[in-house]
Amino acid sequence: MNDQSPWSVLAIAPLLGYLLVIAALPLVFARFWDHNRNKLIVALAAAVPVAIYLLARSPDGADRLIETAREYAAFMALLGALFAITAGVYLRGDLPGTPAVNTALLAVGTVLASVIGTTGASALLIRPVLRANAHRRYRRHVVVFFIFLVSNGGGLLTPLGDPPLFLGFLRGVPFTWTLHLVAPWAMVSTALLAVFAVVDRAISRRDPPPPPRIREPLRIEGAWNLVWLIGIVATVVAIGSYGRGWSAAPLVQIGAMVGFAALSIATTPRRIHEANRFSWAPILEVAAVFLGIFVTMVPALAFLHDRGASLGITRPWELFWLSGALSSVLDNAPTYLTFASLATGVVNASGGQLSVHDLGALAAHPTGRELLAAVSCGSVFMGAMTYIGNGPNFMVKAIAEQHHVRMPSFFGYTLWSLGILAPVLAAVALVVFR
Amino acid sequence: MNEILVCLEGSPSTERAAGVAIELARTLPATLVGLAIVDEPDIVAGSPTSIGGASFRKDRNAALLDDAHRRARGWLDDFVARGRAAGVAVRALEITGSAAEMILAEVPRHDLTVLGRDVNFRFETQDHDRHTRDRILRRAGKPIILVPEQLAAAGPAVMIAYDGSPAATRALQSFAACGLARRGDVHVATVDDDGANAFETATRGCELLAQLGIRAVPENVVSSEPTAAALLSRRARIGAGLIVLGGYIPSALSRLVWGSVTHEVVERATVPVFLHY
Repeated sequence: MNDQSPWSVLAIAPLLGYLLVIAALPLVFARFWDHNRNKLIVALAAAVPVAIYLLARSPDGADRLIETAREYAAFMALLGALFAITAGVYLRGDLPGTPAVNTALLAVGTVLASVIGTTGASALLIRPVLRANAHRRYRRHVVVFFIFLVSNGGGLLTPLGDPPLFLGFLRGVPFTWTLHLVAPWAMVSTALLAVFAVVDRAISRRDPPPPPRIREPLRIEGAWNLVWLIGIVATVVAIGSYGRGWSAAPLVQIGAMVGFAALSIATTPRRIHEANRFSWAPILEVAAVFLGIFVTMVPALAFLHDRGASLGITRPWELFWLSGALSSVLDNAPTYLTFASLATGVVNASGGQLSVHDLGALAAHPTGRELLAAVSCGSVFMGAMTYIGNGPNFMVKAIAEQHHVRMPSFFGYTLWSLGILAPVLAAVALVVFR
Repeated sequence: MNEILVCLEGSPSTERAAGVAIELARTLPATLVGLAIVDEPDIVAGSPTSIGGASFRKDRNAALLDDAHRRARGWLDDFVARGRAAGVAVRALEITGSAAEMILAEVPRHDLTVLGRDVNFRFETQDHDRHTRDRILRRAGKPIILVPEQLAAAGPAVMIAYDGSPAATRALQSFAACGLARRGDVHVATVDDDGANAFETATRGCELLAQLGIRAVPENVVSSEPTAAALLSRRARIGAGLIVLGGYIPSALSRLVWGSVTHEVVERATVPVFLHY
């Protein structure tokens, strides 16, 4: 713990306040929150005072803000590029919505989530899953498990999988480090798929038989977008492996992301974008909201780096559950960085010399590695606990409702996750994070 | 009677209610007004939204609103066609707004309102919606007929459940004013542990009806069954095709603590129930 630290616990207030505001506004002022311009106003209202404070009162405030701006640009470039490229791929055709096919689709989505991101995998697969189950009376459980597996847990294995992990990558966690989390990923995925198979089989018995019809064979349209996707992965891996410390690396990375996104947009026929209902609005929304998050995070992370150990949260299982609990009700990306910074503070309290700007060092530290694994798993898995824990959750819910699936209410969904996901995570936590 | 309001939302009990309303309009006679509500406030209600989700919520809201308008137009077209085929004057009304508020605003403009018992005005977002129906019943101030999905075979007779309360008296008077007594024999039933008391109360109800020019038969019901079950048993014995009740459906908590005869009768009746509170 750094007793000379200028930061008090109040440093967390802007981030916490902002996260609470963006959680409450869609509920209280839904129409206001519908406009991206208003989101930007709210983000600036939160960010500007913090930025002014940092510039005026913190000796390294300007450096911190420049570093944050770089991170923000890289983060948005990746999200935007993945969003654009996956919107260029469309899975056409019909599959029968049997328990076996549904389980297989969820399994494929779980793996795919780590390759093209939870948002991309969700956007790619949710419509085929809904089409396959269109004839069924009871479908909501399929969507709920889809959110558990494809929109969240599946993305644990690479930094491309889920935004929190990419934030970690931007702060130095090696690209392949998350592959070490394969054991909890496999345990949670297998357990959820097994539960789903049993539940879906039981529920399918109450469904009417599917109407006889000619099925359109399954085929991928816009498959060349996979080339641009490989370009993204290659760029991220190359920068992560060889470009650390190279001053132009962030610019090269951002340029590559923008370039691949532009190539995807230019080479994708309009009909595919229309079939995917592609628009830039969601990514502009993310850009506006995350602007506020990135800036308000600066003092919070500095405080946790300096004084994190004083909070008494020092063990992996504590970080797993706390990062998870907060990821459930706030977005999991800032929660991940907050708790990763806390983990840095914990390691530093026992003699470490780690920086919150270099989570790679945390990932390499014997104790830090366990703490970071707990934070990664907590943030990614428990982003599925509510509709607001992770970006794709609400997207999947909204698309399902457009297809006349009556999704559970916010609290109804939380009961599903408390009843199914939480026990699975508790079992995994007992094994992995003791 | 001039106009009967029929609230349409596509459920099987509403289909049945439309049939009952057409039959009533033909015999009374009266003009039918079909009302379909697009509950926009429910569809676009704010909800916790993840980052990036607001755009998808806008798309979802627009899609559900389009669907609700399309369905409302379909129900109204079907209803108008059915009414015209039956030779009844009929017109259609589509309103966008909170279902309970919009219906409560329309109810006073018509002589009688007919609702399916299992109506779900939040059909775009929910599987069931008893809340809207019960709110309408509590605040309507005008007679409402609730029609179950499954109707038992019954004659034209009417059974008025009368306990001497102001609510029961209002229902009785309202029933008389509607002209529905012309359908068949009218029975006034009172449930009490003491048969003499029951007969006395039922007779008082008959006298009230007599003052309004309607002849009725008193029915004293003494039964070991709960009041609602006793009334429904008597209805079956009489073969009445309509039950008249003065009361409202209280909240779920209140029902849990105090119980509700009205709720029990409404939920278990196999014939239309005329309610006025």
